Amino acid sequence: MRRDERGPWYLLTGVVLGFAMSLLYTWLFSPVKYIDTAPSLLRADFKDQYRALIAAAYVADKDLARAQVRLKLLSDPDVVRALTIQAQSALAQGRPDTEVRALGVLALALSQGVTPVATTAQATVTLTATPMSTISPTPVVAWSATSAVLSGTITHGTTSPASSLRTPLPTPTPLPTRTQTPTPGAPFVLKDLKQVCDTHLAQPLIQVETRDAANQPVPGVEVIVSWDGGENHFFTGLKSELSLGYADFTMTPGVKYALRLAEGGQPVPDLTSTECAQGVMDRYWGSLKLVFVQP
Amino acid sequence: MSRWLLFLIAIVIGAAAGLYYGWVLNPVKYVDMTPDSLRIDYKTDYVLMVAEAYHAEGDLAVAVRRLAVLGDTPPAEIVANATLYAAQHGWPETDLVQIKTFGDALQSWNPVLGVPTP
Repeated sequence: MRRDERGPWYLLTGVVLGFAMSLLYTWLFSPVKYIDTAPSLLRADFKDQYRALIAAAYVADKDLARAQVRLKLLSDPDVVRALTIQAQSALAQGRPDTEVRALGVLALALSQGVTPVATTAQATVTLTATPMSTISPTPVVAWSATSAVLSGTITHGTTSPASSLRTPLPTPTPLPTRTQTPTPGAPFVLKDLKQVCDTHLAQPLIQVETRDAANQPVPGVEVIVSWDGGENHFFTGLKSELSLGYADFTMTPGVKYALRLAEGGQPVPDLTSTECAQGVMDRYWGSLKLVFVQP
Repeated sequence: MSRWLLFLIAIVIGAAAGLYYGWVLNPVKYVDMTPDSLRIDYKTDYVLMVAEAYHAEGDLAVAVRRLAVLGDTPPAEIVANATLYAAQHGWPETDLVQIKTFGDALQSWNPVLGVPTP
């Protein structure tokens, strides 16, 4: 074939060759490196650690506004649910009580909708978009703002000039706002103990409800159930869909349990499941409900 | 223009298109990032959270473990960087104090004994 008859196909070959070579380079030898990422991109277990730390910090500083801002950075679809599930999981895994309690307390504070009140003009929380891009020998793409939440920036202090070309961080002012948390009060007193015959309960339960003097549910109260050869600790408020002051424990029929609250109050001995009857033939194990109140 | 030159230009055009595609349009996607890749302000806030929790719990070993997820950098250095960032960006004095005192505690941290050294 003569040269003139080959047509422009060699040009296409060149383009394809160049394209393939550069893809090889960009995907294998020098892929994009992400720096300056946001907490929402963390691996699930690191997110859990982050969430637990937020809760621990909340217990320490009682700053619900700040905790909310921090939690938004994780982009959980349902923050309270995420905290509750993690608290239950942490409890099941035998994580430290302080961690479980902190998660429960923060979940409660959020679910109660305690709205922090700004006490000063500067006490505001601002989520801001932070468009950034960076260039380095290998291409570096910093996470840019796709949403206010994704790129939410924890910022503190007063307005200051942008830090550098690399990270032009806006600097609004989220300052601590003291907010309510469940407060320790007087020791709980057993107000009511009754058998519950509910066919909807698949297993016999010890149901505990804790309420404060205003008859409001109190979450994060540690409940200790012991029996011959065993003991279990759990917390109220982890089943917030039932009640923030609710907790339960599955009983084994025939076993006697003693229950007390870790924060004090009277121990309740000899708790055991007794039979309930529905009609003549239908018998099943009943549950127990204990209501503790702070006088 | 010679065919070889045109061929070379075609390769360059293809390479440029490939670079744009590989770096911009469809770059390698990273998921499951580790905390050491966090932006400096998030890292600083993370350190602040650790400091707040430390001041409440008083457990330096736990605090050091929490800092460990931020990478191989020594804890004291992580806190020093956070202190610097917080100071440069006008974080509230209360936060600065928390981070600084936490950093001071770390200075006397003995990782072997697991307790602050006198």
